[in-house]
Amino acid sequence: MLRWILVAAVIAASVWAAMSGTGVQTLPQANAGDHAGQHLRAIYSPLHFKPAIASATDAQCLVCHREVLEDKVRAISPAGVKAAESKAWYQQISTYQGEQDTFHRRHLVTPMARQLMNLKCNTCHEGHDPRDEAQGSSATSAPQSDNGFTLRKQVNPETSCLKCHGQMNWPVMIGLTGPWTQVRDTFQNNCLSCHSAIRTNRHQVDYLNAEAIEKAAGVEKTGGDVCYGCHGGRPWYRISYPYARNPWPGMPEGTPEWARLRPRHSEMRFLIQSATSKPAEH
Amino acid sequence: MAKKLDMKEVKTALQRKVAQTYEPVKPAVQLGFVHNNVDCIGCRACEIACKDKNGLGPGPRFRRVMYVEGGHYPDVFAYKVNMSCNHCAEPACLPTCPTGAIWKRESDGIVDIDSTLCIGCRKCEAACPYGAPQWDPAEQIVKKCNMCVDEIEAGRKPYCVMACMMRVLDIGPIDKLWDGTHATKAIGPNDKPVRQVKNMANPELTKPSIAFVPHSKGKV
Repeated sequence: MLRWILVAAVIAASVWAAMSGTGVQTLPQANAGDHAGQHLRAIYSPLHFKPAIASATDAQCLVCHREVLEDKVRAISPAGVKAAESKAWYQQISTYQGEQDTFHRRHLVTPMARQLMNLKCNTCHEGHDPRDEAQGSSATSAPQSDNGFTLRKQVNPETSCLKCHGQMNWPVMIGLTGPWTQVRDTFQNNCLSCHSAIRTNRHQVDYLNAEAIEKAAGVEKTGGDVCYGCHGGRPWYRISYPYARNPWPGMPEGTPEWARLRPRHSEMRFLIQSATSKPAEH
Repeated sequence: MAKKLDMKEVKTALQRKVAQTYEPVKPAVQLGFVHNNVDCIGCRACEIACKDKNGLGPGPRFRRVMYVEGGHYPDVFAYKVNMSCNHCAEPACLPTCPTGAIWKRESDGIVDIDSTLCIGCRKCEAACPYGAPQWDPAEQIVKKCNMCVDEIEAGRKPYCVMACMMRVLDIGPIDKLWDGTHATKAIGPNDKPVRQVKNMANPELTKPSIAFVPHSKGKV
């Protein structure tokens, strides 16, 4: 009973948000027996497209996509592999805690995700085309110029996943003579031994909990693992993310050659408007 | 007398070893797909042949033919982009898998999967920049294209290639497909194959083994 009350409340909140000027339109009334029609109407809900998706709340998304958080991993694979006994190489370090979990739950609701991150559905999902998962696939779809998603994907991995799953760009980091796994003992596995003075204006975006990250990074012995977890420790991709060079106190004059094309502030849609994160003039 | 093992030291050494960064396999030859975006008529015979071969129900599609159309009269255009698993040189799916269900073959670079080892965490599905791993909602596991590895072993080509009536889809050593030296009907005499088309994720992410003959409106 409580569950149905909650579902009703979420739906009511969605409708209220839609009608109160957020740019989200309500769906047309569906015939109760017309499941195919309902499905089509849901697929082509304005929430799936720009600009409404930019202001969509997680509650609105979860009305239909609740399996994102409800689905769990299988306890045993079809061949008998036990999830609890299988750990990948990147799941062995001190910062990986808890049972095996699904991709979405790992990023949204596990304790570390809630501690260090503040990811929302539309942090990654910026729209898609329901017909072919390709821009320009129908008259009403996103234009070819849209890079909010890529062919066959509902996100653009280069502007989302790569931020935390790219290579550590150690060759441009002053003082590092090799990959972090080779030199971390020299620095007592402590990134802050240098980064207490360099690039100190960091993580000031609304999808991260900057204060909690800094606190976790400062923990003796494991602090480096926290940083490395998102800065090279789980590098699914072979390139590094071109992080913005948000100016920091004492930042040297002039821009190094490798950073010539880097932006001077994080993406506007994620900026926290505080004194330390105001966009710098280009 | 043998030295008694210091179990604490062994445990520390083991933890250090398993926490090392993963190194991609470097195959002797890297096979890849080529697709002619211009001559493809979008019949989706390749999709159906793939679903037939792999016994896929509604939902998962290892191969997908995407229609791209646009412009304003009289300057209108339409072309198709056809992708399955790109058997990347450095696949993103592989290192994410907690059970070792995905691996890359040293002989031909095919990225294969044993879905019976899958626990359905869907990390590979999210990490792939090209949408290759497919969720099977009925079995709650991930499946993907393995370039019909059994056909390859038997000296034949994958079902999708064999089903293509326009001969716009083919496989071959990817280096030769990129430089246009591999004999295939998918590449015309004046065509210049490319590694990326418009709206496809950056190939530098995982170095996908795919070549396209691009449409003029699909060139990057």
